Amino acid sequence: MNEVCFKNIDKKEPWSLSTYEASGGYSVWRKILKGELSPENIIDELKASGLRGRGGAGFPTGLKWSFMPRNSDIQKYVVCNSDEGEPGTCKDRDILRFNPHSVIEGMAIGGYVMKASVGYNYIRGEFMEPFYRFEAALKEAYKTGLLGKNISGSSVSFDLYTHLGAGAYICGEETALIESLEGKKGQPRFKPPFPANVGLYGKPTTVNNTESFASVPEILAKGGKWFHDLGVKNSGGCKLFSVTGHVKRPANFEVPMGIPFKDLLDMAGGIRDGRKLKAVIPGGSSTPVLTADEALAMNMDYDSIENAGSMLGAGSVIVMDDSTCMVKTLTRLAHFYYDESCGQCTPCREGTGWLYRILKRIMDGDGKSGDLDLLNNVGSNILGNTICALGDAAAMPVESFLRNFSEEFEYYIENGKSMVKDNV
Amino acid sequence: MFEIEIDGKLVNAEAGEKLIEVTDRVGISVPRFCYHEKLSVAANCRMCLVDVEGAPKPQPACSTPVSEGMKVSTQNEKAKSAQKSVMEFLLINHPLDCPICDQGGECELQDVAMSYGSNVSRFNEGKRVIADSNIGALIHTDMTRCIHCTRCVRFGTEIAGIMEMGGTGRGESLKIEPFLNEGIQSELSGNMIDVCPVGALTSKPFRYELRSWQMNSTESIARHDLVGSNINVQTYKGKVKRIVARSNDSVNETWISDRDRFSYEGLSHSNRLLKPQVKFDGTWKEVSWEVALDFCVKGLLRSAGESNSMNSLGVLASKTATLEEYYLLQKLVSELGCENIDYRLGVKDTKNTINLESNVKLSDLEKIDHALIVGSYTRLEQPMINHRLRKAALRGGTVDVINSMQFDFNLALNNENIIIPCEIANLLASTLKVVLESTNQDVPEELNKLTITKSATKIAKKLLSSDASVIVLGEHVINNDNAKNISNLVAMLAKNTNSSTLNLSKTGNSIAADIAGFFPGKDGLDVNSMLGKDMNAYIMFDVYPEYDFHNSSTAIKALSDKNSFIVSMNSFYNNNVADYSDVMLPISSYYETSGTHVNIEGEFQTFAASVKAPQESKPAWKVIKVLADLLDISGFNYSDSSNVLEEAKHNIKQGHRAEESINITDTNSVEVIWQPSPYSIDALLRHSDSLQETKIGQINKATMNSSTAKHLNLGDKDDYLGVPVVISSLVANNCVFINANKSTPSEEQA
Repeated sequence: MNEVCFKNIDKKEPWSLSTYEASGGYSVWRKILKGELSPENIIDELKASGLRGRGGAGFPTGLKWSFMPRNSDIQKYVVCNSDEGEPGTCKDRDILRFNPHSVIEGMAIGGYVMKASVGYNYIRGEFMEPFYRFEAALKEAYKTGLLGKNISGSSVSFDLYTHLGAGAYICGEETALIESLEGKKGQPRFKPPFPANVGLYGKPTTVNNTESFASVPEILAKGGKWFHDLGVKNSGGCKLFSVTGHVKRPANFEVPMGIPFKDLLDMAGGIRDGRKLKAVIPGGSSTPVLTADEALAMNMDYDSIENAGSMLGAGSVIVMDDSTCMVKTLTRLAHFYYDESCGQCTPCREGTGWLYRILKRIMDGDGKSGDLDLLNNVGSNILGNTICALGDAAAMPVESFLRNFSEEFEYYIENGKSMVKDNV
Repeated sequence: MFEIEIDGKLVNAEAGEKLIEVTDRVGISVPRFCYHEKLSVAANCRMCLVDVEGAPKPQPACSTPVSEGMKVSTQNEKAKSAQKSVMEFLLINHPLDCPICDQGGECELQDVAMSYGSNVSRFNEGKRVIADSNIGALIHTDMTRCIHCTRCVRFGTEIAGIMEMGGTGRGESLKIEPFLNEGIQSELSGNMIDVCPVGALTSKPFRYELRSWQMNSTESIARHDLVGSNINVQTYKGKVKRIVARSNDSVNETWISDRDRFSYEGLSHSNRLLKPQVKFDGTWKEVSWEVALDFCVKGLLRSAGESNSMNSLGVLASKTATLEEYYLLQKLVSELGCENIDYRLGVKDTKNTINLESNVKLSDLEKIDHALIVGSYTRLEQPMINHRLRKAALRGGTVDVINSMQFDFNLALNNENIIIPCEIANLLASTLKVVLESTNQDVPEELNKLTITKSATKIAKKLLSSDASVIVLGEHVINNDNAKNISNLVAMLAKNTNSSTLNLSKTGNSIAADIAGFFPGKDGLDVNSMLGKDMNAYIMFDVYPEYDFHNSSTAIKALSDKNSFIVSMNSFYNNNVADYSDVMLPISSYYETSGTHVNIEGEFQTFAASVKAPQESKPAWKVIKVLADLLDISGFNYSDSSNVLEEAKHNIKQGHRAEESINITDTNSVEVIWQPSPYSIDALLRHSDSLQETKIGQINKATMNSSTAKHLNLGDKDDYLGVPVVISSLVANNCVFINANKSTPSEEQA
């Protein structure tokens, strides 16, 4: 546990440069500055590590880095996506709070590999403490001569800037993030072209999640194989899981991929006293909900969770006990997507509001017999037809909630009240 | 070029093309709302989703680039279901009350819903309602109907060059609205009505007038500028009800200016002259055409002498006639043995004015890499030409300006020279000197004494280093004391820098007037000489003296005092015309006669009449023909205006060539540039109420800087030459820039 991003978490002032360097921090970056590591080496190591994008999509990081046109002289950018907004996730916040230097080093390494001399860290608007921590760390790094132009005569340049968002979930979508970074309204771009070709200010850009960048230095320090072997097949390394909900000790846990969900639940102190596990959303609010049985039988890695019928996503485990009304939960989730849709494309702009209104009507006791079919159908009409994944994110919970807990919805429609008597 | 398969058919496609461009070209119909061929791709409506083999999700045809071997279905289950889903989403919050919507019958949403919509709505929740704001006199908004396709937003940023509409809020609260509460002010704003696929933005003057299917549509040409934008004139029961753009890539693409779109309103203004009238003993009497024309003939013969040597007849026309009208009137006059004929009413000295050819195609204008604009605010004065220049600028072309006032251009200026009118010639001469010296040519003696300024060097360098440059000469210098020098200097600069030239001073249909030979003959008098002499008779063609003459009071005085016999043909009633005329003949206005407009490319654009001239007014060319018959002049046996055009084409006249000489004179007093405001340049525009209500229509100001104001002893509550004073540092010192929607000055200009 706690071997990569959280390895210093129990130390005094884990965020300081001295703590970071004392545990081997910036050793990879210094090697690069001395010219001892080539971009090709780094990409090979990353590929070997099996590191997959920690923001939710799970795209192999090494492969993503190799997509950047490396042999041209045009300005390129690396961008860190710290706009952590998915309900249920809070891991990047703690990386920024407790290990900001790993993000800086990871981004600098990314910049070197992809020949991008400028990086931006886009931090969620509400993250004031992480923002100041990161800014302070950035100052330290500059002061120590780890960043800047032609760093200690190495001819390697990397400048890093922090950008604070303004509180829009959509800006976590990488192209909306880029638009926002350019000073425009945060709305996703259509793809192609992808950011690796036309990104920030029209230049090739790679956007990675905070945890992905933060994992890179340790992977390169200890080797891709070491990292890979911490986890299981197709899910190399360890991963931060944010366990929230009806557990005794909600927290972020950095654990090897593939550990049983049961063990993770135990780490979080288990379900509240006198309650039973009812449902789990394993990867953040946009991933399908699982029943207690499905959850208890699964391991925490990409393939296992997929086999169980959901997705690992950003590793945001929302645990619900038997006091939970699933109609109310889905209504709350639907409201979130309705509220956060950017409004640019039709299915999401119109569909998320429709979904929410049907659910709200059911909650108000005005549900009708065809409503569940309608919900399912509206959801599937949004799915796959939008510019970005927010539409899919809004649609997916609907399908799984209705599939796994249909009797609760039918009960609510019929009786105008929740089947769960003591729901809170 | 490679092949792709669409709906089982092999079609050719070019690398870089988007799927929708291919389907449009080969005639496969893919529904769409946000896509517009002249705007950037937004891919936000999702209506054009199609199934591309290998792609897990349906792909939008508008943003998907073609690739070799691609297999696409626009019709299979996956594509259809995606399209129908999107259609349903678009309709849930859209009012389903087409019968009370002004767009009904010409609504893209309605049309597509017929094929892709369901006949029953599954949406039983409350619909979204958006409060409207008043965005000006031209566009009516009904934003509850908006489907957020952002065509109007993209039109504003990409074509009009000012972002007036934008999206505020997010999700379902996304609203398309103007950011500022000042309304829409672009001179091209009406195009937003054309691009809006639904009834959110509709024409305010046309609101609730008619359904599109009730109207007839005729192709025509707009004549308020040098482009001659292609339009469709929509009419109902003999009245023009609406004008919309007609695509012609080599002229106006798919856009037209607000001036061209809304001026038709003036046609039904109560001020139209509708019956022939004759002055008996100082009072006007409505008479029949026979009586009126007989009165004309007798009056002309009595006052101006024999029918073959009418030396004391003067013939003046405005700049808005058709080529046929200019030609026939010129022919009539020359048959009468008269050479006193002119259309340059607004020119102070016809011997000292611009004489420059235009030699660049409109479609090439957007490909130039550098433009030098001299004496013009192209954006408001020639909006469609400015649009091409803006396109060139967006492609990386640079634009330099020599003006006497700083204007709000919608394109980036490289180098803006704001100088007093009398310095323009000097700056151009100095620029020419730099050009000649740096290309190792002889510098003419007149230029030797000139000192080379930094500005001149900059301007010259840019012209010399550009491969495809153009020098644009505008209206502001027609009455410059060095107008002829400026014109010659521009011609010489162009010749020595391999630049094209564009003469924007030939406004209205004046190019046609030149071609028809509507200028004084060898021994003939020009406009100012006529007014200064005792002419016994005049034929005045659609002249409105207080607007058309350079100095209205002098002209009106000259026409009123001398007791001349004056025949006026007008489409609008005018008090001054009634005062000095003896006969008033009601003639057709725009869209009421067939004819030809000659644009800046020299392109003859012929149009048919869209409606009959109202009441007893007649197409002017017919009036001239009958007048000729009654004067016993032969050779006027035309049955159709196309016969006139054929003959005119065989008798094309060359305007006089300017001699290449430079002789710059110096002035020291305050200089005045008088430029009619954009919606006041002709009688029809002045009678178009909605246009007059707009911000542009209201422009009426004499702008000067504080030191000039002090010198003239004026404050910002005073009038100067009848125009309200505005004190601003945007104007060159010692210069007053007047942009007026009122008559030209009634006092002698300083």
